[in-house]
Amino acid sequence: MKLTRRAALVGVSVVATASMTTKMTFAAADPIKVWHHGGRGDGERGRMEALIKDWNTANPDIPAILEIQPEGAYNEQVQAAAASGGLPDLLDFDGPNYANYVWSGYLLPLNDLISKATLDDVIPSIIAQGTYAPDGKLYSLGIGDSGLSLWGRKSLLEKAGVRIPKGIDDAWNMAEFEDALAKLQKLEGITHALDVKLNYGQGEWFTYGFSPIVQSFGGDLIDRTTWKATGTINGKAAVDAMTHFQGWIKEGYVVPAADGDDSFFGKKTSAISFVGHWMWPAHSKGLGNDLLLLPMPNWGGKHVTGNGSWCWGITKNTKNPSGTAKLLEFFMSTKNVSDLEQAMGGVPGVKSAASHVDLYKEGGPLSLYLAQLNAGMGVPRPAHPAYPTITASFAKAVADIVDGKPVQDSLDAAAKAIDQNIDDNKGYPPFGKV
Amino acid sequence: MNNNRTAWTMLAPAVGMVGLFIVFPFLMSVYFSFTDQRLLANANVPTEIVGLRNYQRLFEDGVFQNAFFRTATFAILVVPLQCAMGLGAAMLINSKLPMRNAFRTIYFLPTVMSMVVVSVIWASLYQTEGFFNSALSFVSFGTIPHVDWLHNEYIAMPALVLLSAWQGFPFQMIIYLAGLQGINKETYEAAQCEGATRWQEFIHVTMPGLRNTHILVGMTTTIFAMKLFTQVQLLTQGGPSDTTDTMVRVIYATGFKRGEVGKAAAASVIFFLLVLVISFIQRKLVKEERAIQ
Repeated sequence: MKLTRRAALVGVSVVATASMTTKMTFAAADPIKVWHHGGRGDGERGRMEALIKDWNTANPDIPAILEIQPEGAYNEQVQAAAASGGLPDLLDFDGPNYANYVWSGYLLPLNDLISKATLDDVIPSIIAQGTYAPDGKLYSLGIGDSGLSLWGRKSLLEKAGVRIPKGIDDAWNMAEFEDALAKLQKLEGITHALDVKLNYGQGEWFTYGFSPIVQSFGGDLIDRTTWKATGTINGKAAVDAMTHFQGWIKEGYVVPAADGDDSFFGKKTSAISFVGHWMWPAHSKGLGNDLLLLPMPNWGGKHVTGNGSWCWGITKNTKNPSGTAKLLEFFMSTKNVSDLEQAMGGVPGVKSAASHVDLYKEGGPLSLYLAQLNAGMGVPRPAHPAYPTITASFAKAVADIVDGKPVQDSLDAAAKAIDQNIDDNKGYPPFGKV
Repeated sequence: MNNNRTAWTMLAPAVGMVGLFIVFPFLMSVYFSFTDQRLLANANVPTEIVGLRNYQRLFEDGVFQNAFFRTATFAILVVPLQCAMGLGAAMLINSKLPMRNAFRTIYFLPTVMSMVVVSVIWASLYQTEGFFNSALSFVSFGTIPHVDWLHNEYIAMPALVLLSAWQGFPFQMIIYLAGLQGINKETYEAAQCEGATRWQEFIHVTMPGLRNTHILVGMTTTIFAMKLFTQVQLLTQGGPSDTTDTMVRVIYATGFKRGEVGKAAAASVIFFLLVLVISFIQRKLVKEERAIQ
């Protein structure tokens, strides 16, 4: 809470300076309250603050205040705020959580609030993620989409004699991937060949990062037509996938959480990093030309990757829907999307921005992410009101698997928790009535 | 009569506050524990009375029993350690040393710091390249391999105990210090005349003199230990393999992460009863001496 208050102060002072420089007083309207999760990447928070400052300079009559809520317990903060009527006007949230928010009635549909020109410019994967199945309306928009695959170091891969894939079509399969780990592990200076960011702790990363491995084997977090988890999250495919995952840990390939964040790009004690686009600033700074973005391996037969990112939604709490929508359109403008993703490395959320972002131009260092999404490899996480429970249960299972608990038992527990939650909510009508 | 009315009037604000903020919410939890109350009411699925279902579920999957067992383990480890550290430090600063106020302030610092801050600092001390591993490898000339303090099933709990005792002991120290200063100086003089060693003095004069303090410190420390949450939530999230899960964390995760307030209420009712029973047993076992001669 202390952090929140400090963030609020920062927000207030930003507004104050902004209005002072333009010699305006902002007695006009209630300021628009914006919540942001702070972000993991370098400087994301600062960029958000700058964005709000730009907005306040340009629109002194509709000032906005930024509050940073710590990412670790973000969903809990939103739920608690909703319970006490304290939701902001505009907030961001990690992808599929919006389904629960829509079901609980916190969010306004964006279809009539955002101009058609803006909506037409948004990339399809973001529209798909934000469209709520029961009513077909759009509830969330993201400045960018995410990219997920492997980062490697050219020099080490060559030294270990590992084949370097050129593109999506010749991506590694599981055997090649595990063979690469075994070879890289033997290199001098490498204590653990693979960093899968266990240091992020049990949270959304575990679901976002590791559910594609399950999906590649033909499993999933939940059956997306019957909305039952049992038989899917703990089915044979999922168990096979997570058994491989546990195998990497048992072999000692995986960087333990206690090694911190920088084993790949700082201490250089790991050779492959499995993490999303947000590490681009740190990785490119730490490794320069030696850094290699490798395509997502085809682990189990179906070639998939994660997608979806933090997105914005407008809450029913707002007294100024049109002003808030204008702010969201400002975030989604070609210039702001280009600037932000040029710095952060995410897939630009509007089509018009891609050509301005060097990273994503044809042959750009991150264009592989765009190629993965364009090839239809992205599997969105299930946009179901039970998502908070689905992700918490799967993340718990992953944590247990990392700790060496039998894979089947861990996934059985997740299946049971998810199905029990859905039953307790009578199938989350209208979802249950399919 | 008049006197009585005045007394009640004077008491009213306190009784009102305690009723409003402690008794009433507790009664609400008792009520919620028999319903399927969600964190957020939803028009699609109204809250219903579900009888004892929350209680059954709580015990069915073993999560709550495990949490109780782990919390009890924590209490059994931390209470003696923290009390001993408190008493030791109190005896050190209960001397006529110059600058003893400076020492008192320094020893008291950890408790002034928020547990969140302490946890974050200790998280870095427990890292692979952190202080503890470096220290171990220094004293053993590199023969002891690095320990993964917070992710090893057997070490995670002791690591949390150490952190908690370090953060908490100054509180006990202050109470013990007050206790030590309450012991009659003449008893020490008498012991010295009889030729008692320092150790005999400690066992036969200091310890009995601190009887009431021991009871107070033991009881409050146990209750604090039962409420273990912050360190666990920040450092291990109940892991590895649930070996550091605690009752308060279960309540938090059930109510906030999964939104099952009914079940969380059931857990907190049981938690309250357990703490009540423990304090009751402690009181029965060690009767406080009301009058000090």
